[in-house]
Amino acid sequence: MELLRIVASRLKALFGGRRLDADLDDEVRAHISMAVEENVARGMSEEAARTAALRAFGGVTQVKEQYRTRRGVPQLEQAWRDVRFGVRQLRRSPGFTATAILTLALGIGAVTSVFSVVDTVLLKPFAFRDPGRLVVLRETQEETEAGTRVMPDNYRHFVRLMGETKTLEGGSIFHQNGASVSLGSDHPRIVGAVTASTSFFRVLGVQPILGRDFADSDGQKGAAPVVLLSYEGWQSFFQGDPGVVGRTLKNGGQPATVIGVLPAGVRFPDISIAPSLTTQSGLGARESVIFQAMRPNQFDLSADDSNFNYRVIARLKPGVTLAQAQAELEGLQNAYTQSAHLSIRLGAQVTPLNADVTSGISGALWLMFAAVGGVLLIACVNLANLQLVRAVTAERETAVRAALGASKSQLVMARLAESLIVAVAGGVAGVALAVAGVRIFVALAPGNIPRLNEVRLSLPVLLFAMALSVAAAIAFGILPALRSIGVQPQSALQRNSSRTASAREGGGTRSLLVGAQVACTVVLLIVTSLVLRSFSHLLHQERGFDTSQLTLAQVDLFSPQYGDNSPKVEAIKQAFADRAVTALGQLPGVQSVATSSAMPMTGETWIDSLSRPDHPIPEAQKPMVNVRFVSEDYLKTMQIPLLAGRDFADGDRANPRVVLISEGTARAGFNGENPLGKKLESIIPDGQQPVTVIGVVADTRINGLKNTALMVYAPYWAFTPWTLSFLVRSTRASDELIPEMRKTFWNIDPLVAIPELKSMDEQVDESVATDRFQTVVLTSFGGAALLLALLGVYGVMAYSVSLRQQEFGIRIALGSGKPALMKLVLGQAATPVLLGAGVGLAAALLAVRWVQSLLFQTPVLDPVSIGGSLLVLLAAATVAATIPARRAAQVDPMRTLRME
Amino acid sequence: MGENKPDVLQGTLDLMVLKTLESMGPLHGYGIARRIEQVSGNELSLNQGTIYPALLRLEQRGWIKAEWGTSESNRRAKFYSLSRPGRKQIEKETENWERVAATMARFLAPSN
Repeated sequence: MELLRIVASRLKALFGGRRLDADLDDEVRAHISMAVEENVARGMSEEAARTAALRAFGGVTQVKEQYRTRRGVPQLEQAWRDVRFGVRQLRRSPGFTATAILTLALGIGAVTSVFSVVDTVLLKPFAFRDPGRLVVLRETQEETEAGTRVMPDNYRHFVRLMGETKTLEGGSIFHQNGASVSLGSDHPRIVGAVTASTSFFRVLGVQPILGRDFADSDGQKGAAPVVLLSYEGWQSFFQGDPGVVGRTLKNGGQPATVIGVLPAGVRFPDISIAPSLTTQSGLGARESVIFQAMRPNQFDLSADDSNFNYRVIARLKPGVTLAQAQAELEGLQNAYTQSAHLSIRLGAQVTPLNADVTSGISGALWLMFAAVGGVLLIACVNLANLQLVRAVTAERETAVRAALGASKSQLVMARLAESLIVAVAGGVAGVALAVAGVRIFVALAPGNIPRLNEVRLSLPVLLFAMALSVAAAIAFGILPALRSIGVQPQSALQRNSSRTASAREGGGTRSLLVGAQVACTVVLLIVTSLVLRSFSHLLHQERGFDTSQLTLAQVDLFSPQYGDNSPKVEAIKQAFADRAVTALGQLPGVQSVATSSAMPMTGETWIDSLSRPDHPIPEAQKPMVNVRFVSEDYLKTMQIPLLAGRDFADGDRANPRVVLISEGTARAGFNGENPLGKKLESIIPDGQQPVTVIGVVADTRINGLKNTALMVYAPYWAFTPWTLSFLVRSTRASDELIPEMRKTFWNIDPLVAIPELKSMDEQVDESVATDRFQTVVLTSFGGAALLLALLGVYGVMAYSVSLRQQEFGIRIALGSGKPALMKLVLGQAATPVLLGAGVGLAAALLAVRWVQSLLFQTPVLDPVSIGGSLLVLLAAATVAATIPARRAAQVDPMRTLRME
Repeated sequence: MGENKPDVLQGTLDLMVLKTLESMGPLHGYGIARRIEQVSGNELSLNQGTIYPALLRLEQRGWIKAEWGTSESNRRAKFYSLSRPGRKQIEKETENWERVAATMARFLAPSN
């Protein structure tokens, strides 16, 4: 109670110091006046009375000081004084202050924003129960020549495995694709859909927040179709209607009843069907919004050993390791291969869910992580160096303060306060930069980085980065201070009478640090420029088709009239395509229109082996080709040159068993023979008769800019896919054309979904979004590193020049010319920079091996990148050193000599 | 001021101030200092200023209260008065002091 009162009164005093000081002054003044009055009354003269009164009072200042010490919290007041002193000191050297704060901000900001992304994407588990035990299960097939191939799952094999396994707690087999969803009368939308066996959510450990989970009866033959909605799906289709359970929606035109809603934050990741099939990132990957129970259809999957078309997610039993599950399932598959006398040898592959989802991008993220580590390292070295340089001046000042009677703890506290101010200011700026950085990151990132929409500034990471750089700033601020305490003030003062000595002292350490920083920067710069070069190669190479003035649309024919069981489905699909091509061609400004079975830039799809009846070879040696079903004007619209033979013609409509092949296909499949007139087998679905090659067209990068695919083009008269893309070449801008195209499609059939409608340039842009993201991020790190290196060299040189002013003054006075002085300073900077660049170059040559896989058509020893990086660095270092060197040359000898 | 006057013992100044306020009622700093000098018969070497930190200490402990008022010579001054805990403290301090003084007296008594 009493203690509390004292503390309260002291704290009050702490904040009301000025007013209380005035109070005390008044009180003391009143005291003296009263004493004087009394003395005068006793007969003293005015002056004698005052003297006597003051003598009786004792030292007024001492009393006031004593009073204040007792009144407030002296430690805090001392700290406050130290802080104010620190601020004054820092304002006296704005160069140092700005450099240090900027360094801290860059370090903390860059590290935190990138780490936040890595944390969410790579390290943060899914919102499933015990996600570490979830695995993705795939089958493998042993091939004699090519080794083992990983494949999607077979339903029959899945059912067998689940019946026999002792390492898995449960599993669910599912499809992941697009569904065309509407509430009835509106145009349908294409959303991500999961069709899963009913155990799906039990395996994941997810409970619906509304309604119920799938029951086993939902998966039985003849059961009514039911769906669960993701939280987002519930919001977007039903505006979060709490009475949604029991309502119906149309899924592919068929009604289905909503039975439940999943919790917010539960997102099911895109599981690739097999790692070997690299469907192009981003495009086509949609968030799963509806989950439907898998029901047996007309095909009896439980008797089919060859339909590998599914994905499987399973949960390990507690305590079971991945290796144990892998071994058991592999054994079960091998045993089944033998007992069922299969012609292929089956195995199993178990991957942790987390690793599976991030496998495609972890390389890029880890590279970023390494880059960030590099930046942080450079930042810390920079801080250390700045603080060490500063300590040299501080040493003299410390000596002066010690000589004037400052206590040791006060001396250390003063330095600590200064470092703390820098650390706090830099930390605050760093946090601001981190917040902005995360925003920029998310805005720039391509859609295929999973869980990116969940990225938030990670607090632990922010604290980590701040702790690290702040610790560096303080440690290197305090260590020299501690050392300088041991120095006798007298000797420090004497030694300082010639400033050259102390400026040179510790120069070795500083040069080492500058060198280390330059080395790190060179590595980062070389990696950055390699990635930049690679990206520029990617954008500027020959594509084989003309992307400008093209607008494309994807149309999904998902309503019942296009369904599998309609007998005239081929004719109906073809009629839609015909009408659409004709109608689009009549839009103003349109030059030509084509349709294709796949959107450009969406990766390899419809891959088939090229079989020649006249040249039988083993299946494994046949080249794999991408098959596209296109309309007549495809070559004209895409502007792909025809190299030999003829294009499709209207006459082929009656007999559509003709194909065009790309140059690469001709090379791979015909090995120098003339392919024209040759036959190919089983390219067209359900086509028993072979097709004839009628022409050869140029290679294109139609599936993605990174490679030219082997292509076979067949007319859509032979087969019309359910998902059609339309390509329109027009003199008008895509923006104008897009609404007209949408209207055209819906005029023909209002129940088709149009999930994509954009310009070809946009499509190309999106297809390289991952690469652009990588490039932008790495470039910003390279830039940050370069800036830090520049600051580092500048900071150290500027300080050393300012310390040696007197020396330069003397040199000028003795007749040294300006060029000679500049040479002296530049020479001093050159040694660590050149050595650092050399070491960095060597380190980079070792490090670039890991970057190789991220580069496109760029050798890791690319002379332009390496030479360019070195040049940029040396130029920056020269600039950074020239400014202080010029200052050295402009020293006024008279002024500096008078200074001491 | 003479040279051989004893210093005010640590802790005794507090009791002197409290006792003064008890017998004189509310009083300003100068008054307290003068009163202590008079009671001690000018035998103590007291810098009048030192009573201000002591007053602050007593105020912080809640033993005395301070209020601005007007002095007999019509001057603005801070008046101090005893609080209820202060009165209790006097008893305690007095007892304490008497015990110390008695002990000291025993040490100093002629040892015959």
